[in-house]
Amino acid sequence: MSVGAVDITYRGIFQKNLAGVITKELVKAARHEDKIGGTVQRYGDSPERNGIPAKQFSVIADDADSLRVEMTKYEPSNVVVVAVMDDTLTKGVESWAWYGVRPINLNLAPGGTLLVISRRSAEELLELIPRREYAWNLAILPGEPSFGGLWVYNDDGTDYRTMGAVSRVAGDLVSLDSLLAQAASGQDGELRAEQLREGHDSVRAYPVDAGVGAEDTYEPVEMPGWTQMREGLVIPAVPVGETNPLFKKYTTRTARPLVKFDACVKCQICYTVCPDECFIPTPEGHWDIRYESCCGCGICAQSCPVTGCIEMVDEAVFDSNEPLHGVYENNREEYEELRQDKLAKAGGPIPHYGIF
Amino acid sequence: MAAPELTVPDLEINRRITILPLQEYYTSGHRTCQGCESALVMRYMAKVAGPRTLVTGTTGCMYVANTSYNSTPWSLPWAHTQLGSSGSSAIGTSAALKALMRKGKIPDERINVIAFCSDGGGGDMGLATLSAAMQDTRYNLLILLYDNESYANTDIQASGMTPWGAVTAFTPSGKRQRITHHRWKKNVPALLMAGHPTGRYFANTSSGFGMDLMEKVRTALDMDGPTFVQTHDPCPKGWDYDPRMSHELAVMAVECGITVLWDCLEGELRYQGISRQQVEGKLRRRPVADYLRRQGRFAHFADEDIDFFQSRIDEMWEDWILPGVLRVNQTPFGPGGSRG
Amino acid sequence: MTATEQATSGTPAPAGHEAGHEEIITGCDAVAQALRLLDVDVLAGYPIRPYDSVMSAVSKMIANGQMDAEFIVAESEHSQFEIGKHASLVGARAFIGSAGVGWMYGMEALVVTASLRLPVIALVGNRALDDPGAFGVEHNDALMVRDTGWLLYWVESAQEALDTTLLAYRVAEDKRVMLPCALSMDGAFLTHSQHIVRVPDEERVSRFVPPYDLGDRRFHPDNPVSIAPQFNEDWVMEARRQSDAAMRRARTVIGEATADFQRLFGREPEDPFVDAYRMEDAEYALIGMGTVGMVGKVAVDRMRAAGKKVGFVRVKWFRPFPRPELRALLRNVKGVGIVDRDYSFGSSSHAGVLYTEVTAALYPEPRRPVVAPFIAGLGGREVSVENMLEMEDSVERVTAAGELDPTCQWIGVRGPATDPRYEQGENPRTAEGGAR
Repeated sequence: MSVGAVDITYRGIFQKNLAGVITKELVKAARHEDKIGGTVQRYGDSPERNGIPAKQFSVIADDADSLRVEMTKYEPSNVVVVAVMDDTLTKGVESWAWYGVRPINLNLAPGGTLLVISRRSAEELLELIPRREYAWNLAILPGEPSFGGLWVYNDDGTDYRTMGAVSRVAGDLVSLDSLLAQAASGQDGELRAEQLREGHDSVRAYPVDAGVGAEDTYEPVEMPGWTQMREGLVIPAVPVGETNPLFKKYTTRTARPLVKFDACVKCQICYTVCPDECFIPTPEGHWDIRYESCCGCGICAQSCPVTGCIEMVDEAVFDSNEPLHGVYENNREEYEELRQDKLAKAGGPIPHYGIF
Repeated sequence: MAAPELTVPDLEINRRITILPLQEYYTSGHRTCQGCESALVMRYMAKVAGPRTLVTGTTGCMYVANTSYNSTPWSLPWAHTQLGSSGSSAIGTSAALKALMRKGKIPDERINVIAFCSDGGGGDMGLATLSAAMQDTRYNLLILLYDNESYANTDIQASGMTPWGAVTAFTPSGKRQRITHHRWKKNVPALLMAGHPTGRYFANTSSGFGMDLMEKVRTALDMDGPTFVQTHDPCPKGWDYDPRMSHELAVMAVECGITVLWDCLEGELRYQGISRQQVEGKLRRRPVADYLRRQGRFAHFADEDIDFFQSRIDEMWEDWILPGVLRVNQTPFGPGGSRG
Repeated sequence: MTATEQATSGTPAPAGHEAGHEEIITGCDAVAQALRLLDVDVLAGYPIRPYDSVMSAVSKMIANGQMDAEFIVAESEHSQFEIGKHASLVGARAFIGSAGVGWMYGMEALVVTASLRLPVIALVGNRALDDPGAFGVEHNDALMVRDTGWLLYWVESAQEALDTTLLAYRVAEDKRVMLPCALSMDGAFLTHSQHIVRVPDEERVSRFVPPYDLGDRRFHPDNPVSIAPQFNEDWVMEARRQSDAAMRRARTVIGEATADFQRLFGREPEDPFVDAYRMEDAEYALIGMGTVGMVGKVAVDRMRAAGKKVGFVRVKWFRPFPRPELRALLRNVKGVGIVDRDYSFGSSSHAGVLYTEVTAALYPEPRRPVVAPFIAGLGGREVSVENMLEMEDSVERVTAAGELDPTCQWIGVRGPATDPRYEQGENPRTAEGGAR
């Protein structure tokens, strides 16, 4: 291998600093093996938005020419590891308008490893991750997603644990020894070494055969030529009553609001405060949620005056964006069972996921 | 396109909302942050403006995050304008409508002209154009300044409306200097109000008070002549807090007396809601520490910084004749205010 | 009905006869008259000499009821140009203008006017850029937008200023073009000198320039569109290519519109792009823009009287640049002198912008003339007939000497052509106890 890349797919802003540390430290460690490298922040993701999927890359090469070619790309090729910093990202990545929701493993090289920080099993994750036409590996680093802020870094060891896991699944790109040597040259060397080893030892890899995984519904978008575009930088507005057909935003969501309609007092505050226009009135005065548009900010749950009426629930336990009020209308008990089931699978509602 | 007849169901709680059309003219599918209150302001603004409206928007989050080719959340006609051009885009649009209608080149009707700008585009670079727009009474226009207190799109740099001491990409906290943003936030609506006696309407409001905001936008659009509304919008990205706290922070800023709900209609100053109760002495202001300590951008604040911040807020409530609005401590006729 | 059909459907005026009336007015006033005839809807002004008298003339006509338009006194050039841009976007015929550093101050707004493909027309009263503060003509101001999608024209007379204003709206508003156009006028010599001008009648003008129609780009509630969203790397090149196509099409449209103009207003046919004077059998030629054309032609007449085969070419449209015309005209010429009333410090030959463009235009020719660069008339310094003769003489000399890369000469500058000590970094002024 002359050049390889590690793709860090993460939650915009919340994990920006985390991804920055990982990509840079991987390259620094590779220097201990006389390799060269650089990092690439996918420019299309910047300026980053809270929660909206984003990517940064480490590019590690044996020779200068291979590195030069990769450093002039928005997304480097030969991605041998895609490290996913939050397991809800395995449902797909819609980072910009027009391109649609792209599979998390779209650019993973054949035989490469998708490394996911998760508490879920490989079986559960493979229900979300689309199949490929080639064999690949799924690696799981047990843990919770680490969320920080733009100014305040959440220094909880996720960075070094992830790097340790990368050295396990792609040791020929950068070895654990190199990472340990690099960590020893900096602050808190012993703690970092411990975290590196812990990540290296606790990651579990599962080979995934070609054709195994969720259905791949992704269709690459067609880009019109210059004679096919309207002149004067003009695009049509959204017809009144519809939503933007070209950007949906739901891959931003790490948790979704789940409503206990029986508890709803119909105050309409959720509808009023939603910045993403997700709430749809029902004839009886409840507010259904258009999950396709919901980015999971949690303002509705926070603003709801009734305790336990709107709760934020881990997105990974849901498999559809269909609004749920229809289920409730059909059978209230069935809906409550569904709600309880999701809450149980998710381990209860998420109280708060920032550090402030 | 006619305004749909849909309205929110008429229910007991929060009856004021029921007068609003359910219809959105700024709709789902914008690439804004989780918990973006400025997006909420756009939604409120479009909702009360209705379909016979033209919107121009300056460069910033509400440009780049909303409209990325070939995608838009706008149902209203919307056009980009340059960062410092909110005022001039509104004048140009309104003047063109006026000329074309007068000459019979397009049908004569009431069309709302709204130009939105950010604290950077409006409060810094575009301030001269806001001033020009507020002077020209020939044209019906509304400038809406969404104040998220930094150049947020470019990844958070200090603007003239960033609060004192806040960390931004250009005003970091360092080992030698804890505070590097030394400017006290400028008060643009008061500045415009004080200097432009012919402006018809000036208002300050907050994304946390949707009804107040929408009433102010509607009041502005119903006036003939130039009007200005500023909204205070928490920005989870730049202020660094959990997005679900957005709405509460907006409310808290008012409770602490940092943001003041007021407007000035034809020269008459009025306070609204919590701010009015604070002016009338019916409600105590909440300590600013409650607000500051919830945001990562103030995480470096020492106690003395919070005390300083509190003292400046106290001063604007206790010493100014127009509390929270205009720094005038004394009239030619003696120390100000019968409140003392 | 297309613009062409509409313009030619009326009875053309008989050749040699011009409708309208005669006035003695400045170049700025002539443009103002054209704006009145064109029923321009929105104008935005900001004061800077020497273009500003066009706005004074317009505002007076509005105050007197001779013209119905919204006139806005902006608070800066940036706002002035943005007002024009947004008015044009609503469907109003808009006019702006500026000079020198004022044009620079609004540069951002100028660039977006072009990329938004809006047919705003501007008058640039050419003026030296600060510092030092100087009122006199230099062409650098208008040239600064040469790469951005603005159509650019340099006029020689007040009559041409009026005519070209009409032509500019006709070309810019053509569906095939939709680009802004800046009309450049030499400060002082045209902006503040009065010429005999034939002012046409309104009826004929409205036949020549059909109403402005932005079509499905119009910013109006009946046409819900989003205009100029953010583009990423997957879209920008396509948008630029469209502007490129529009500029290429402008050549055809300018040709049609000029022919219509000449027919409708009874003018002698002449080339739309260049003003070629006595070039038929010319062995030597001088090339310039703007009022330099007046003295250039006089110099040519004198040299022709003395038996020299010399011609003058005035570049009228700088964008689109008249490459085919220049190649055809200069193909058989032995030597060419370029009179740049501008500078491009550090460029090829340390010459001006026109030199760079003309030499690039001639490059594909199998037999290229010797091209000698000159810089003259900066900061409003007069360019005399004698200067033109001097330059022609120099062209003949370097041609005879077979110099393929003649040194750029500064015509009319005081002091030596060059000074070795100065080039070395010494200061002859202090060494010789020179003037303070």
